[in-house]
Amino acid sequence: MTNFDCCLSPQEVRIANSVDTREGRERVYDILDSFHMTTPFIDIERARYFTESMKTTEGQPLVLRWAKALMHCAQKMTVYITPGSLIAGRAGKFGRYGILYPEIDGDFYSILGELDKREKSPFNITPEEVDIVVTEIAPYWKGKTYHEHLNGAMPDDLRGVTYDDNMGLKSKFVVSETSSYRSALQWVHDYEKVLKRGFKDIKREAEEKMAQLDAESPVQTWEKRPFYEAMVIICDAIMLWARRHADLARELAEKETDKIRKAELLAMADRCERMPAEPAKDFRDAIQSQWFVQMFSRIEQKASAIISNGRMDQYLFPYYEQDIKAGTLTPEQAKEMLEIMWVEMAQFIDLYINPTGNEFNEGYAHWEAVTIGGLTPEGDDATNELSYLFLESKREFPLNYPDLATRIHSCTPERFLAEIAETIKDGSGFPKLINDEEVIPLYTAKGAPYDQALDYSVSGCTEARMPNCETYTSGCVYINFATAMEMTMHNGRMLKYGEEVVGLETGDASEFASWDEFYEAYLKQHNNLLVKAFRQQYIVDSLRPEHFASPLASVLHDLCMKEGMDLQNQFIPGGLEYSYFEFLGYGTVVDSLSAIKKMVFEEKKLTMKQVVEAIKDNFEGHEEVREILRSAPCYGNNDPYADKIAKEIDRVCQTYAEKYSKERGVNLDVRYVPITSHVPFGKVVSATPNGREAWTALSDGASASHGADHKGPTAVLMSNYHSKNRGMKNRASRLLNVKLSPKVVEGEAGTQKIVDIIRTWCDLHLWHLQFNIINKDTLLAAQENPDKYRSLLVRIAGYSAYFCDLSRDLQNDIINRTEHEQM
Amino acid sequence: MSNPNEGIIFNIQNFSVHDGAGIRTIVFMKGCPLRCAWCSNPESQLMKPQLAFNPMKCLGTEKCTSCIRNCPEGAISASENGVIAMDPEKCVRCHTCADNCAPGALNVYGKNMAVRDVIDEVEKEAAFYSRSGGGMTLSGGEALSQPEFAVALLREARRRRIKTAMETCGYARYEDLKAACGYLNELIIDIKAFNDDVHKKGTGVSNSRILENFKQLVKDFPELPILVRTPVIPEFNDNAEEIKKIIDFIPVQGNITYELLPYHRMGQPKYEYLGMEFPYADKQLDENIMKELRPLERAANENFKKA
Repeated sequence: MTNFDCCLSPQEVRIANSVDTREGRERVYDILDSFHMTTPFIDIERARYFTESMKTTEGQPLVLRWAKALMHCAQKMTVYITPGSLIAGRAGKFGRYGILYPEIDGDFYSILGELDKREKSPFNITPEEVDIVVTEIAPYWKGKTYHEHLNGAMPDDLRGVTYDDNMGLKSKFVVSETSSYRSALQWVHDYEKVLKRGFKDIKREAEEKMAQLDAESPVQTWEKRPFYEAMVIICDAIMLWARRHADLARELAEKETDKIRKAELLAMADRCERMPAEPAKDFRDAIQSQWFVQMFSRIEQKASAIISNGRMDQYLFPYYEQDIKAGTLTPEQAKEMLEIMWVEMAQFIDLYINPTGNEFNEGYAHWEAVTIGGLTPEGDDATNELSYLFLESKREFPLNYPDLATRIHSCTPERFLAEIAETIKDGSGFPKLINDEEVIPLYTAKGAPYDQALDYSVSGCTEARMPNCETYTSGCVYINFATAMEMTMHNGRMLKYGEEVVGLETGDASEFASWDEFYEAYLKQHNNLLVKAFRQQYIVDSLRPEHFASPLASVLHDLCMKEGMDLQNQFIPGGLEYSYFEFLGYGTVVDSLSAIKKMVFEEKKLTMKQVVEAIKDNFEGHEEVREILRSAPCYGNNDPYADKIAKEIDRVCQTYAEKYSKERGVNLDVRYVPITSHVPFGKVVSATPNGREAWTALSDGASASHGADHKGPTAVLMSNYHSKNRGMKNRASRLLNVKLSPKVVEGEAGTQKIVDIIRTWCDLHLWHLQFNIINKDTLLAAQENPDKYRSLLVRIAGYSAYFCDLSRDLQNDIINRTEHEQM
Repeated sequence: MSNPNEGIIFNIQNFSVHDGAGIRTIVFMKGCPLRCAWCSNPESQLMKPQLAFNPMKCLGTEKCTSCIRNCPEGAISASENGVIAMDPEKCVRCHTCADNCAPGALNVYGKNMAVRDVIDEVEKEAAFYSRSGGGMTLSGGEALSQPEFAVALLREARRRRIKTAMETCGYARYEDLKAACGYLNELIIDIKAFNDDVHKKGTGVSNSRILENFKQLVKDFPELPILVRTPVIPEFNDNAEEIKKIIDFIPVQGNITYELLPYHRMGQPKYEYLGMEFPYADKQLDENIMKELRPLERAANENFKKA
């Protein structure tokens, strides 16, 4: 229900319908109402024109083909201006829509007609369109897609942990590759470059670079020249596409009878004529230019979680300040422009045809993270009036897009923190917080220039990106370490997959006579998954450049332009390869290890045989065993017993990452950010020794297992602090959810409490933090399913109580009171 | 308790945000000289460990017989419909049953702890205190039921630069109160009723000692922030007349603030777990009362602020 996992925005658009909220926001609400809660459509034009062009360019260098295909799209795709909008640029028809990337999944488009029926994130498509896709588009891609290539290349021993079918479409959810249903990892452009220079100037740079090439060099003429040609074409393509919007705006203006709207359309026409070719002159220019870039990026490729928005309060501020001074823009008008961008953004859906991809991103999730706050490249506080405006907009118009991310550092102004706290209290889960004091030193330690590290942008879910330094683009491997626990218990097997030996045969678990024997077996299973994951990722990295190019992303990247290489190349000289592997089930594994160590080998309350039997039976008839296991120390309670195990497991991962990262020059570091995937990954894992029942969700990110944290939110933070090997650098982000009841954060004192928690979190150098202020729905859900909500803390004047410890009568009392407060 | 370095505690609760400044950890000490009919912490009253049983957590004797198997006296048996039955005649309060009850249905309120262990536990969250101005709050029960232990805890906390607060009902020897206050950053003291007959009826004791202590305290500690609290209890002090009398009794000093706490029934389940009668089970505070009383609280605080 109110399960705001990771950066998944709440599914229901939380918009109050009262007249008061609409007042002054009629325009954005009108746009929102036109698509709100409708089933999205698939627009096939991008796929159609992209394919049309690709058919004609076979044999040419891939980056050139891609640029030509995008030029063809720019020429042919229908252009739209959303009625009432002040920003032009869509990648498809009106309403909520998704577009197709047949280069990823064209070979199995036969399932398109069934997308309206699927349970999670359904899509509509007309039979005529299905027909075009199936007859014109799909056949070309058969045998050419990356996922077919990867599926074919996957050695049998890796396949056994990767796929559950012959097609490579169904994940085994053990060692999952995530590269085959997206063209790239999350990314952020250097938007400032576009706003300051415009594409004419960027094109001039590409032409100059081309002219400087040695025209007689076989290498340069074959390797570099086509790249720069592609850069010139892509600049022309986006400028052409933009100008077509200018024409459309003028056409619409001619027909428009309303004078005000007519003037708006003419102003748009003027902007689209100049943007993004020219430097932005004012705030409205800047918004339009940025929007064209992000929309055309979506036509270019399916970057996971979509291209993020970067440090908007930084690169937009000069225009904002100038216009406010000149009196040509009010803060309200600036907010309106931004909010139009949000409702335009909300209409583009990150469509996954691949069933596994869909499992990972349930609920039409997409994250065009907007970064605000933090430090400047000089190391000063970067907060400005625009930073506050973003927070204000989020409070007044709490749409689920964009995902708002605030960078926090030790000298973040108190006012900014207080406004963040006020926004968090609003209860929609925004903003999330990323810690400069963790990211910047860590990125510097991994080799980033200090000023670039200081200038990072939040990208996608919890990642940080340096748009001109980083060059790693492959979707990364997700490792389900809860299966390593299961394989330890079942001699390399998983109940879900029967007699198949998925892992290693480490022996009959009921025979383990000491903790050391058990732990050694676990480590073998754990290590085996790491080995397979790293091998799999290497294959992924080597195959992808044959299939993907991203000329737009490349033309905006300093290193790509310098080296004449597309961003999708496996290595670009000077590039920083920062990436990760995902650890699924951290709390599940740690608590299971703790339970076995404590209850079997130290206190001897249980035998291994009892535990093995109990989990085989999913604890049915072994309820007492389950409770004994559950009474062991758990991660997330600031308990040194469990946290020490957690730190050891983190160390094992980092040590492995260090060894093979060195070999490859790629930082594949341990990350704890499951998005929504701890649910599907849990579905293949039978009961675990921490008392978790079969097929239920795994623990989420670096948060505690569900209901296992009973010492409050501060203890969860401390456990994260104590379980991280801070002296090592092969670590990436950790996602941390903190749930609070509205009562805890009530009033001015409550705001201060959130500020205090954020300050301490910053002191502890934890990577990420987000708050869930629990509402009535959650309390009701907690009544239905108290087991899952055991750790829900509710505050009553003077003292606090665990909700599920209270009698039904009193629970209702609190629920009614909460409702009362909300009124 | 003869050893001042050890005492009996029934809970250490992190992330407490309403009893003193900032983010705090509350150390709940056992034992209380009062017997307030509305007490929300009935497990705090006796200064000895107490066995409690929460049937909602019990798996039932069909699924679990741990307590029955482990009781050395054979005092626990299975009754019909899977519920456990305890024979109070046979029970010797060894609490082996609770030690072996994994779901925590059988649970002992109260355990002996050394000063050092308590403060070690409190200090684990010190990162939050320094940012929020929080620290440790001694509560209960009545913290001064174990005066030497309480003072030792406060002294050790201060030695480790942890800020301290204490909640007290004021019913203690003045020397003890004074000794504790010497180590406090903040004191929270209850004045529950001014009328002594009312006080006796509701709490079981006279308020004369409390009021005398309070008078002396505000003289001796003119700089110590003192929060005076009155729980507003139905059929006890839930009227403006009584509250006014309390406020009038408080000297107008700048170091004092006043707070009304509306009655709640959150302690009810614990009465059931302990097998105790809850005299206030059916009583509720009339919502309108607080609307009437809040302005008195506000006026009092404005008055104190001016001093």
